[in-house]
Amino acid sequence: MLKKPVAPEPRAEETVPVNIRLDRLQKSFGAKQVLTEVDLTIQPGQFVAIVGKSGSGKSTLLRLIAGLEKPTGGQISFNGQSSDESDANMTMMYQDSRLLPWKTVINNVGLGLSGDWHNRAESVLESVGLLSYKEEWPSTLSGGQQQRVALARALIRKPQLLMLDEPLSALDALTRIEMQNLIEELQQENGFTALLVTHDVREAVRLADRILLIENGTITLDVDNYAPRPRDLSSQGMVALEKKVLSKIMGT
Amino acid sequence: MKKTFQTKVLPWVIPALVLLLWQVVSSLQIVSPSLFPPPTNVFLSFWGLISSFVLFEHIQISLMRAFTGLLIGGFIGLSLGILNGWSKLSYFTFDTSIQMIRNVPHLALLPLAIVWLGIGETSKIFLVALGVMFPIYINTLHGIRSVNQGYVEMGKMYGLKGWKLFRHVYLPGALPSIFVGFRYALGVMWLTLIVAETIATSDGLGYLAMNARQFMQTEVIIVTIIIYALFGKLADVIAQMGERRALRWNPTYRE
Repeated sequence: MLKKPVAPEPRAEETVPVNIRLDRLQKSFGAKQVLTEVDLTIQPGQFVAIVGKSGSGKSTLLRLIAGLEKPTGGQISFNGQSSDESDANMTMMYQDSRLLPWKTVINNVGLGLSGDWHNRAESVLESVGLLSYKEEWPSTLSGGQQQRVALARALIRKPQLLMLDEPLSALDALTRIEMQNLIEELQQENGFTALLVTHDVREAVRLADRILLIENGTITLDVDNYAPRPRDLSSQGMVALEKKVLSKIMGT
Repeated sequence: MKKTFQTKVLPWVIPALVLLLWQVVSSLQIVSPSLFPPPTNVFLSFWGLISSFVLFEHIQISLMRAFTGLLIGGFIGLSLGILNGWSKLSYFTFDTSIQMIRNVPHLALLPLAIVWLGIGETSKIFLVALGVMFPIYINTLHGIRSVNQGYVEMGKMYGLKGWKLFRHVYLPGALPSIFVGFRYALGVMWLTLIVAETIATSDGLGYLAMNARQFMQTEVIIVTIIIYALFGKLADVIAQMGERRALRWNPTYRE
């Protein structure tokens, strides 16, 4: 007699990074046009940095992709599906950590999750080096530690797309370097698509595979950055790239 | 050592001096002892009321009125505050009416309450409920509305909606403000009760005081006032303990 075939073990959930396409994307607030006809395709798993001066529209672009704002014109699609129908798993890190002060570290990480998430929360806290703080209140942590928890909260959901809205700009220089290393390492490991908005060109050069410059609501520079990781910011190629982007921003 | 003197002893120096002065002045008969009975007489009368169980009956009925009113008014105020903070539609439907009623001093409704509801329990509970409703309503509304919108946006981004968004973001965010309203409401609760019990009643602490006035038992009047003070303080201490426990995440409420 034949044995009943055993169903194959379900494979551990894998994150499939998302492909993003923007089609003639426009956004205006009242009479003020913030983004004019942005066309862009972002490859899955790519780490893209969006740089620009404040008011250039870079944060608006991110908020449109996140679905926090509605575009005035054009289309956003994820893996070929329009953003309204897509169930792409996206998470976001903000400039302020936005940890709920009334929840302990681990409960912040597990925010909105159902089922048994405690073990996963512990392992993701370990990966950001804060497992021993899991029962603390966020107010007792330093700014850098709070952002690590925010990163853990974003990563536990196995995002296909992680959006970073100047998450490091409020940190001191040393903590920022630490966080850059951590973000780089975790992105390489998990392979999600990453979108980083920053006004720090060095940070963009340090982290991104591709750098976009936004000026007056449109993309004016789009350069790839193939430098191997881990990156040495003082190497010739890096310095040249940083110079190129900076001089374009400054108009020199 | 110096710190404990400052925090534990110093606050009680003036009350102790006042008591002492009062005792001296009235036992030397500088003022009429029937108007200003010395503290020792007040204490004796306190003891008499306790040992005859008269006091407990009155306290029991007063507390029942106070807390029933607080429960009803608090529930209504909290619900309306949450509803109006949550929904614009509800806010524009109800808030103007609520504000109009709020601006009538609720004690001015006492005669009307007696005419409508009689001098029984209902009129007193009604007035207490009406009085405590507004501070709880206003502070709940304010609390819900001033929740950091960054948290709300983050919560939505992370999939919180409806009840979950309320339970994890709005409610805990509004809680400090709700507690302010609650503690203020406790004060209003006692105030309303005292007035309602003094005017139309046949039992309760207020009645005890008014009855004593008819027989010139000044010390009994003072006893009831002291009891009001003690209960007021006790209620506030309990509320503060609850506040500290519920808001222990907030550095302001940690010791």
